[in-house]
Amino acid sequence: MSPQNYTFMFFGFTVAWLIVIGYVISIALREKNLRKELDRVKRMVEEGEQTRR
Amino acid sequence: MRLKIIVTLTAVAGLILAWNLYRIFLQVPDEANQGAIFRIIYFHVPAAITSFTGFYIAMFSAIGYLVTKDLRFDSIAASVNEVSLALASITLCTGSIWGRIIWGIWWTWDPRLTSFFVCWLIYVGYFMLRRAIDDPTARARLSAVLSIFACVDIVLVWKSIEWFRTQHPGPVLEIRGGGGMAPGMEAPLWWNFLALLMLATALILIRTRQETMKLEIDALRRHAHAF
Amino acid sequence: MRFLRQTWAIAAKDLRSEIRGKEAVNASVSFALVILLLFSFAFDLEPEQIRDIAGGLLWLVFTFAGTLILNRSFARELVNDCLDALLASPVSGAQLFFGKCVANYVLIIVVECISLPVFAIFYNVRLPQRLALLFLVMLLGTWGITVIGTLFSAMTVNLRLRELMLPTLVYPMLIPALVGAIELSRVLINGGSLAENMIWFRILVAFNVIFTILSLALVEIVLVG
Repeated sequence: MSPQNYTFMFFGFTVAWLIVIGYVISIALREKNLRKELDRVKRMVEEGEQTRR
Repeated sequence: MRLKIIVTLTAVAGLILAWNLYRIFLQVPDEANQGAIFRIIYFHVPAAITSFTGFYIAMFSAIGYLVTKDLRFDSIAASVNEVSLALASITLCTGSIWGRIIWGIWWTWDPRLTSFFVCWLIYVGYFMLRRAIDDPTARARLSAVLSIFACVDIVLVWKSIEWFRTQHPGPVLEIRGGGGMAPGMEAPLWWNFLALLMLATALILIRTRQETMKLEIDALRRHAHAF
Repeated sequence: MRFLRQTWAIAAKDLRSEIRGKEAVNASVSFALVILLLFSFAFDLEPEQIRDIAGGLLWLVFTFAGTLILNRSFARELVNDCLDALLASPVSGAQLFFGKCVANYVLIIVVECISLPVFAIFYNVRLPQRLALLFLVMLLGTWGITVIGTLFSAMTVNLRLRELMLPTLVYPMLIPALVGAIELSRVLINGGSLAENMIWFRILVAFNVIFTILSLALVEIVLVG
């Protein structure tokens, strides 16, 4: 089997997996940011209610 | 409960993919004309089919939003479209690499590749539209209409292949007619398809939850600023 | 009948305002000329080769110049809340949309009729004897551009990056119509027969019919919700 063939196949698989991993990482980062934002807004609402009382 | 589903799906998908990788690399023989590179088909074709299916599922979810006005349908539509777009990117990249070996060129403007690229562009536009709209209801409404237009348009773009000579390899799977694959070689394809479908579903579930969280944050923020 | 009368009222309003101002058509024709100029630097080809790509060049010019007109279509109503007034009026969303389509269509055809002879002169392309057929292709292709462009103009009217978003969304969607129009134009300019290329004709007609119906059905949702 020609080595060039194997190189390209390796590239092909690598690219596919990189895209998948990259996408999963972006989802994970988004999850972290969303949780931070949610906690911040929840705190904002609680503070608002406390100052009203 | 939901987390358990996600973890189970991912684990099973991972197992199938791992077992399939073993089969693909070590058990399936090299194809007569294409050599080793043809193994890319085991990711290229399932990714293409899954992403296409995803776009149409998202369209039905978008129609669901337009009918019921429930924003959860919009969350599902956006998530499905996003995962499908990622799979479409994989399809284009792996297809290009496959083409480089088989035809000697990184890209050719034959109808099948072109229509897939057009599809990819339309959905990049879909996400640009979503980012440009702040109001959740307007965003859901407009992206739903865009989703319907996109899916109808893709059929028209796709139809042109049937009337064009194409450089793409002829249909290889049984369902499309034309030359089939040897029986031993076809099974890993369907297993990979199943694995990708499960992986996609897990990712969609995670993304949908994130979209719902975003809506919750918006509502809370409005609640906080109301005082 | 009432549908057509009210549609015509909207179309006439837009056309009248354009005839008085002449902004959009002037800008569009100037842009078309600039593109023709730029293409002359980009390509340095023999006459036979030019005739091969003439169809493509022509429709690129038409599409880019047409986008200028389509962009303004709903954007011009934002000033002084005219769009809200129109939506509150007895005119339905479909009538408003169709009226604007007709007005845009007329304006883009005017721009094309001016650009076509200029293109023929600049690139030494002899226009086909059966000019009527080429004109038919122009009419069909332009309707496809107009329908999609006007609907997406309505969709993007309230966005910050309207001028950026409209081309990005519209061009990929137009591909079937553009490919059909380009192929037919290329065949006609090269002296070929339309009868052998009926498939592109059918794609063009199918595109127009499908998207006209779809747009009329969904435009109310886009404009009002």
